[in-house]
Order: sequence, then structure tokens, then C-alpha cells
Amino acid sequence: MLIGVDIGGTFTDLVLSADGQLHIHKVLSTPDDPARGMLAGLGEISPGGLGAIDRVSHGSTVATNAILERKGGRVAVITTQGFRDLLAIGRQNRPQLYALQPQLPPPLIPRRWCYQVPERLDHTGRILEPLDTDALDAVLDDLAREEIQSVAVCFLYSYLNPAHEQAVRARILERGILEDWQIALSSEVLPEFREYERASTVSLEAYVRPVMSRYLGNLEDGLPKPVSLRVMTSEGGVMSAGRAREHAIHTALSGPAAGVIGGFYLAKQAGFEQVITLDMGGTSTDVSLCPGEPVRRAESEIDGLPLRTRLLDIETIGAGGGSIARLDAGGALRVGPESAGADPGPIVYGQGGERATVTDANAVLGRMDPDHFLGGAMRLHLDPAREALSTLGREMGRSTAEAALGVIHVANVNIDRALRRVSVARGYDPRDFTLVAFGGAGPLHACEVAEALEIPRVLIPRYPGVLCAFGLLMADVVLEESRSVLGPVTPDTHNQLTSYLEEMRAQARAKLRQEGVAEKDILLSGLVDARYQGQSYELTLPFTADLAAAFHAVHAREYGHALRERTVEMVNLRLQATGLVEKPTLAPEPVEENDGSDARLGQRDGFTRYKREALRTGAAFPGPALVFQLDSTVYIPQGWSAKVDGYRNLIVNC
Amino acid sequence: MPPDAISLAVFKNLFASVAEEMGLTLQRASFSPNIKERLDFSCAVFDAQARMVAQAAHIPVHLGSMPASVEHALRAFPDLGPGDVVVLNDPYRGGTHLPDVTMVSPVFVSGEARFFVASRAHHADIGGMAPGSLPLSTELYQEGLIIPPVKLAHNGERDEGLLALITANSRAPQERQGDLEAQLAAQRVGERRLLALVETHGEARVQEHAAALMAYSRQMTEAIIARIPDGVYGYEDFLEGDGQSEGSIPIRAAVTVEGSSMVVDFTGSAPQVAGNLNAVQAVVRSATWYCVRLLAEEDVPVNDGCFQPVRVIVPPHSVLNPDFPAAVSAGNVETSQRIVDVVLGALAQALPERVPAASQGTMNNVTFGGMADGVAFVFYETIGGGHGGGPLGAGISGRHSHMTNTRNTPVEAIEYGLPVRVTAYALREGSGGTGRFPGGWGIRRVYEFLAPAEVTLNSERRVHGPYGLAGGESGEGGRNTLIRGEGEIPLGGKAAVRVEAGDRLVVETPGGGGWGAVNG
Repeated sequence: MLIGVDIGGTFTDLVLSADGQLHIHKVLSTPDDPARGMLAGLGEISPGGLGAIDRVSHGSTVATNAILERKGGRVAVITTQGFRDLLAIGRQNRPQLYALQPQLPPPLIPRRWCYQVPERLDHTGRILEPLDTDALDAVLDDLAREEIQSVAVCFLYSYLNPAHEQAVRARILERGILEDWQIALSSEVLPEFREYERASTVSLEAYVRPVMSRYLGNLEDGLPKPVSLRVMTSEGGVMSAGRAREHAIHTALSGPAAGVIGGFYLAKQAGFEQVITLDMGGTSTDVSLCPGEPVRRAESEIDGLPLRTRLLDIETIGAGGGSIARLDAGGALRVGPESAGADPGPIVYGQGGERATVTDANAVLGRMDPDHFLGGAMRLHLDPAREALSTLGREMGRSTAEAALGVIHVANVNIDRALRRVSVARGYDPRDFTLVAFGGAGPLHACEVAEALEIPRVLIPRYPGVLCAFGLLMADVVLEESRSVLGPVTPDTHNQLTSYLEEMRAQARAKLRQEGVAEKDILLSGLVDARYQGQSYELTLPFTADLAAAFHAVHAREYGHALRERTVEMVNLRLQATGLVEKPTLAPEPVEENDGSDARLGQRDGFTRYKREALRTGAAFPGPALVFQLDSTVYIPQGWSAKVDGYRNLIVNC
Repeated sequence: MPPDAISLAVFKNLFASVAEEMGLTLQRASFSPNIKERLDFSCAVFDAQARMVAQAAHIPVHLGSMPASVEHALRAFPDLGPGDVVVLNDPYRGGTHLPDVTMVSPVFVSGEARFFVASRAHHADIGGMAPGSLPLSTELYQEGLIIPPVKLAHNGERDEGLLALITANSRAPQERQGDLEAQLAAQRVGERRLLALVETHGEARVQEHAAALMAYSRQMTEAIIARIPDGVYGYEDFLEGDGQSEGSIPIRAAVTVEGSSMVVDFTGSAPQVAGNLNAVQAVVRSATWYCVRLLAEEDVPVNDGCFQPVRVIVPPHSVLNPDFPAAVSAGNVETSQRIVDVVLGALAQALPERVPAASQGTMNNVTFGGMADGVAFVFYETIGGGHGGGPLGAGISGRHSHMTNTRNTPVEAIEYGLPVRVTAYALREGSGGTGRFPGGWGIRRVYEFLAPAEVTLNSERRVHGPYGLAGGESGEGGRNTLIRGEGEIPLGGKAAVRVEAGDRLVVETPGGGGWGAVNG
């Protein structure tokens, strides 16, 4: 029995797969101790109790929240003498360009716990100045006195020669000041050049380890032993709980990743490989372009702090169901980024919300089912929402309905812009893609958004509100090895990289076997980050015999021109290792053409209304229509028509 | 239907999206780190009357300086045809300083130029007497290739000869080629997107909303100004020598606020100088409007409407309105910072509870180059410093302020490519001015040279520290020092020196001014 669990701010969603069947379940999250809510949910969804579960993959925001709320604990960083303020200075740019008085988020590590030790390597890894052990001991005395819980070490050029960083760890262990897992070395966490990004990443790792360790401990204590417990990573894979303890930072941007994996998997199964995912929740919307497969990138940040672990290429904008609508000082309608969030939430939820939101606009237009919202668990307070939108309409000289349509239109235009950035602006034609829409609000907005970009097809999964939990079931074990290989591409390059890759393959195989992956399920691929000499950014390409030629070709494809006379320089060698996991087998049901009339709820506000659960495979019907289901509502405008496929996806065509 | 709150919001996004997509194209296709990574570029859309409708800018100095480019392109070519692209960089004919190269092209709808699109990018080297094209110059000719408005493309055909001429004048011709191609690609994207907009919404509706958007931004800017108490507020501050002589160069502003309009009069500022600190009018306008933009409490789309309520007066033949061919290379990078300091200093008298003390007021431009093992090397960077304290708290430390926001180059990248070692990069403890909310700290950066090199420094606030406000003290001024053996040689704010292997250059950047009396 396999279970995927997505722990959100309000709800914890569970999807169970057994005997080719999927079951879904929702419980309230317990933010003070997320393990408690998850264990409760697992007990409820598993008919045989916790003992019957074989594998649980879950998405956790424990690391993310620890960083955002600065609740990581007492953490120190040790740098090369002269570079104590590496983290404070950053790349010396300010986060807000047009702030009268720019502000920085509070530092992860206060200056008094930023230490420096005399030692120095040069850019080839040669030791210029040996590690000053007396100075190190003085720093370690201080760590003990200050009761530091974990420490990050980042010396210049340690990715070329980790000797000094390793000597620091050895000395800490020798003196018994910290345990091994409490020490994070930059040469192990991110053996890549660029000292600030490396220092930031290793500091984040040290920062979240104590929190992650505590959390996983609580979870394991509550589970019977033989369960394989896995955690989602930012790059859309999973890793074992054991590995997560020492790669805790790899979970920090995993929030939206599972949805992309789940959405892409479903679309591919349904026969569509060119996919854009649209995950619209209460406060934000995530979009991701998957041209044949999900795309990963290396650069990201969390709360302004650079993080250089790989992650799925997802663009997030501040527009969601809870986004607040208002008129600005120039008399234009604004929707978001301010959000009513989960508390107080939109007006229709009746929990104290007073300002009109996108959800209120949808409700006022009859696009949500006042009787069956969340399966009837929540009553919609339509009157106060109508009043708020009528007030907004009066300020604009428009009717209540026009105001509501306007709010939705403006929210959609914001989403359009994000979709354009990930498609048109990168040279992709949206007309070749299928939009997979999920999250509570995605299915309400998808068709109108698709229309503006001429995307011809929208796919609404069977359970759009719990797609992340579903994605967790489908995620493979993914890990990456990397090493810095800064230097020009020469005739020797191929042999040299081949031998490095051999070592990395062996390491990756060993790690995957530790994760419980069988040899036959291991996929390995070598990648190289390269650039023209003089450039400061890299392109990633598959490792091949003639790297320079391959690089020219990739550069020409990506940027429209290649500089064939120029020296190609390699920066990093990467090995991407995938361990395929056992996935639930979902066989398509036979499709029987029908008009969906047995799921019809009647006509209201100009829409034909359907009940999603009652729609059989093969049901086909035209817009304007609304399809109500437990966790979402699908809006099908005039001119679009919907059909239920063999997997019970709703395929909506223009 | 006339524009309303909803359609205004929609078109605001649509126009912004055109400029944004141009910018993404330029960034994606460009070659040099300066464009790709430091985002030193901007793109904009103009209407038939050459009024700016939308702009995507990452660098404040581009904010108000683009309209002059379109104006000069049209003055040179009153009847541009479809497929024409004008290129220019002449600061006296639509440019700012020579490295900023601007392209302008018309967008034809039913046989008439109904819109224009423009892109500007800072090219890392455009020739001249020093690598990086920001020399301690005394006339424009020394600063690089001067490009008056000329056609780079005519009727869709590129002028390959002109392109070759431009690239041949740069120390990095391949890089120039890549960056110019990227700009041309951005122009095409802008044109295509505008045509698509017209096709979807109809020309009349698009024009109507372009006008409505300008009125909208005007209204929002007027609302910002209306919240400033009426009055005349003056402030004076100084630049510290133009690289040719040491004398103080006063920059003076009188800000008159009356209702919802503002006049900023720079009369009383110094006459034009012999060195490179002269700033052309477009730069002055950018820096001034940037100060107004800082007071906005919500995002204002940048377009012609923003500039209407703000009138800028610059005296002729002055350091802020020089005559051709006065040198201008540092006007953009250093003088612009002082303009911000004096305008904010004046506004602080009107809004004492909002305006923070002065930030470092310089970009600390460091350039060096030479030969090592028979290969030429060149490097340019700017260094952050302390921000002013203010009503929100202490100033932030070690960051760029106001007219720039470019990132540093990692030490591990510098040492890999150059015969130099960075031995310290740390905050200057306690360099911020004291106050209830103290100024942020400056930076101390130490370069140890492993080979002889020619070093050029263009920096300010080495004599007078950034001012404090509301009873706060000034920040500590910056300092440039050369350490040779046991000896320390103090260098001025502007310096051109030859260093030997083993020499160390110490650049200490200013701390920010403090805000509020300590016991206030």
C-alpha cells in the first residue's frame, strides 16, 4: 500500500493507492507539530492501520518555515580570514530597487556567530597559507561557550581542495563539541565555485538540519518500523528520511514541485507531452513549462538568500483565490498581491473576511456551488460578498456582475503574463501545449487563461485539489552529484571527465542502493555546465565526446547565435541519478460515449451544472458549464467543450 | 467603451508585457555579463507622438532618459519607414554616456508609424582611451566611439558595414556583436507584440488606452507630490574633484512644491568641468524622477505621464547641462548619485519623518588592466557601501544604493581570471554615522596584485562623508590607499596609478549617514 501526503498550511491531503484504486482523504494540518496531523491522517486512510503501509512519500514545509520564520536554532558559520561578512554583504545588491529606505531580511546567522580562521588556497586549490589550528581552537571554544547547535564551514576554493574544511570537522569531532551531522561543509553540500552562493547554501543546510532531524524523529517514532518513509525534494524527486537528515535544505523549495510531477505524469498518461502546469491556490499561482519533461534549474533563493540546489523551474506569482481587489490612487483595479490568505480568507467563507477577493467574484457569478462547497462542509456567505463587489462596482461605475467579471479578468491577465514569461519569452509557442490546471482555483480560471494565449486544450485531473499528494506517489528518487571542473575544454577533457564521471556513477549507485533502489531501476546521466570564456553564466548540456561542438549548438538554439572562434569553458560536471520507484498502475476504464446527462444538476445563472463524481468516462458536453466536485469547481466557458477520458480526466477543448 | 478601471488594469499589463518580453529577449540573447547578469538595460514602448507609454527598467538611471533617444532619432529621420532601426549613443543627441547604446524602431499600422519601440543596453566596452570606456577623460572623443542617430537597418536590411564599424571599435568585438544582435532581436519582438496587440484589440482601443495609461500615471504621480507640503526646499552638496583638479564642485537644487506639481531647479550648480563628471540633461531628469518614484507608496507604471508634473531646470553650460564635447563618462555613475543626495536632502525638509540620511553617494568604480604572460587583462567593478539610517531603522550595510544595483564579481571568479588576489572583503565596522538610527557600514576590499597593472579609480565621498539628518552624524568618508612594501600611499577619490606585483590596493567605501539624535 502506497500513500502520498502533502502537508499544507491548512489541510494535509492524502492519496492512497492499493490494488489499482486511488483513495483520497483530507485532514486538518497541525502546524505546531506537522507529524501529528500526518500520522492521524495516515491512521484514518489506511484500512489496515499504520502497520499495513509499505511506503509513504510526503511533502514537508518544515525546512521552509524554519527559514521564513527564522526558527532554525543557534547556528554558526566559519569562513576564511578576511571574509567574515561574506553572508552579510552577499552580492552587494539591495533587494528593492525603488525603496526610500531599503530593508534586508534578518540575517540567518547573527554577526557574532560569523567566525573567520586564517587559511588560504589559491584558484588551483594549492595551499597558500595553512589552517591556523590555534585560531581554530579559539573559535571552537567560543562555539562551545555559545552552545551552538550546528555549524557551516565555507572556505575559499574548498570545492577544489576540501582539506581545510575537513580538518575543521575532524577537530570539532575530536574535541567532542558537535556530532557529525551537526557539521555542514561547503565542499560536500555544494562543491561549486562562487563563494557567496556556496556559503549561503551550506549555511541554510546547517540552519535547517536540527529542525528536520527533530521533525523526522517525531514522525518515525509514530510509525511502525518497516515503513519506507520518503520526503519530497525541490527538484521533484523523493529521498529517504535518512538522507533528508543530511540534505535537509533540498526540501526547502519542494512545496510546488509535487504538483508539477503529478500534473505532468497525468498529462503524459493521457497522451499529451507538451505541458504547462497551472497550480492556483489561495495566495499564489505556480506555473511550469514541461516541454516533453519537467525542467530543472540551479538558481533560486528563499527569503532573499541564494540556494543552489537543483529545483524544478517554476514561476510563482502573487495571484490566487484569496487575492484582494481594490481601486488604486490612479483609479485602476488591482488584484493582489495582497491576499486574504487562509485567515480571514475570502468574504464568502464567513470567517471575518471583509475585502472582496477573486474567490468572492467567482462565488457572486455563481461559479461556485453554495450548497455543495467542500462537500457541504462549508456554507458560502454570498450576501456580504455581493455587497462588497457592488461597492467596488459603484466606485468604478459598473454593476456588481461587471465588477466581479473585472476582478477575474484582471487576475487572469496577471496569470497570462506569467505564462508568457515561461513560454513565449523562451521561444515556445503556447499553441503546442496542454494546460494542466489544478489547485483549488486553477480549474475555475484555466479555460479563460488558455483562451488568451491560444492554448487549445485544458486538462483537469480527476482530483485537482489533491494533485500534489498524487504527485508524491509518482515521484522517483532523484539525487545529484556535482564537482567543479572550471577550465577550458581541451583535447584531454573527454578522458578526464569520463574518469570523474566513473567515480561519480559509483558514488551515486551506492547512494541509491542505500535508498532501497534496485540496480535495474537506476538511470544515470552526465551533464556539464559550460560557457564561453568571459561569460558569467552557464548552460547545462548532456556530457558528450565533442563538448565544444555540443556547446556551440546549445548556445545557438537557446540564444540564437554561437561564437565558434571562442574558447568553451566548463564549470561543473554533474551526474543526475534517478531511482525509479514502483508507481500505482492506473488502467484506463473503457470509454462509452454519453452526454453526461446523468451527472447533470440542472441549469442556473446561464450555466449547465454537472456533478464531477457522477460523470462517466466518455461523457461529452459543451460550455457554458460548471462542474462541481469536492475540492474544486471547473468553469467551462461558451465555445469550449469537455470530455471525460478513460482516466477520468476532464479534457476541455477550444 | 471608454477606458475604465478594469480595462486600464488590463492594458497596463498588456503594455508592460510588451516591454517585459523585449527585455527577456535581450537578456536571453545577450552575451556580456553586464547585460545578462547585472541587467544593465531597459526597453520601452512609445506612441506616435514619441511619448513613452511603458518601460521595463532594472537600472534607475534609465528611468527618464529614454524619451530623448526617440526624440533625437525622429529629429534625424522624420520619415522612418517599416523595417528601419536607428542606433545611437551620442550623449548630446539622445544618449547618456557612450557605453549606453540605444536602438529605436517604428511600428507601422495601416501604413503609418503609430508606435515606436526602443531598447538601451550598457555595452561593456565601446572603445576610447581606457578599457571599459569610463576613463578619467577631458573630452567625449576620449571616451569611445560616438554614434549619432544612424540607421542600423533600412527597410528590413541590416547595414553590415555599420555593424562591423561599431564592433571593430570595441575591445571585445565578438561580445559587442552578440549584444547588438540581442538588441535587434528585442526590437523585433517589441514590434511583433505591439502588432498582435493592435490586431486583437483594434488600433483605436490600443491608442485610447495608451493615452489613458499616461493620464493614470500622471494622476498617481500628482497624488505623490500633493502629499508633500507646499514650499521651496533647497539643498547643496559637493562632488570632490573631477579627476583633473581637486576643487569642490557644488550641486545645488531648489525644489518648489505647489499642489500636485513640482519644479526642481538646479541653478547654482557648478559650471561644466574639465573632467568626466559632467552629466547630460537626460541623466539629471532620471535621477530627479527616481527621487519622486521613491516616495510612491504603490507601484507606478513608468511612462510620459510620470514626468509631466515634475519640471527640471538645468542651467546651460553647467556640470548638469554641458556643451559638446565635454567629457561625461562619470556623469552617469557618480554625478547622478549626488543629484539624488541633493534632491532628497531638499525633500527631507518637507518630509522630515520619511526621508532617510544620505547613503554612500558613490559607486566606487575600480578599473584595472595590463598584461600578464603576454595576455591582456581588464577588469571593472563597483563596490557597495553604507546606506543612510532613517525612520525605518538603521541603514543597511555593504550594498549598492540609489542609481545602481549591480552585483559584485565573486572572488573565486576574479582570481581565476586575473593576476590579482582579494585578501579581504568585509564590512568597515562602525563606519556608519551615529544617530538614533545609525548609518550602515561601508566595505573594505583589498586587492593584492600579482603582476603590474594600470589602475583607475572613480570614487566620491572621500573628503566629506554622506550627510546625517534630523540630528544624526555624517557617515565616515571612504578612503583609497596603495600599500607598497611597508609604505602607505594615500590615493585621492579619482586616481590613475601604475601598480607593481606585490602592491596592495585598499578601497574603503563610505558609511551611511545617521538619522535622528542619539538622545532624541
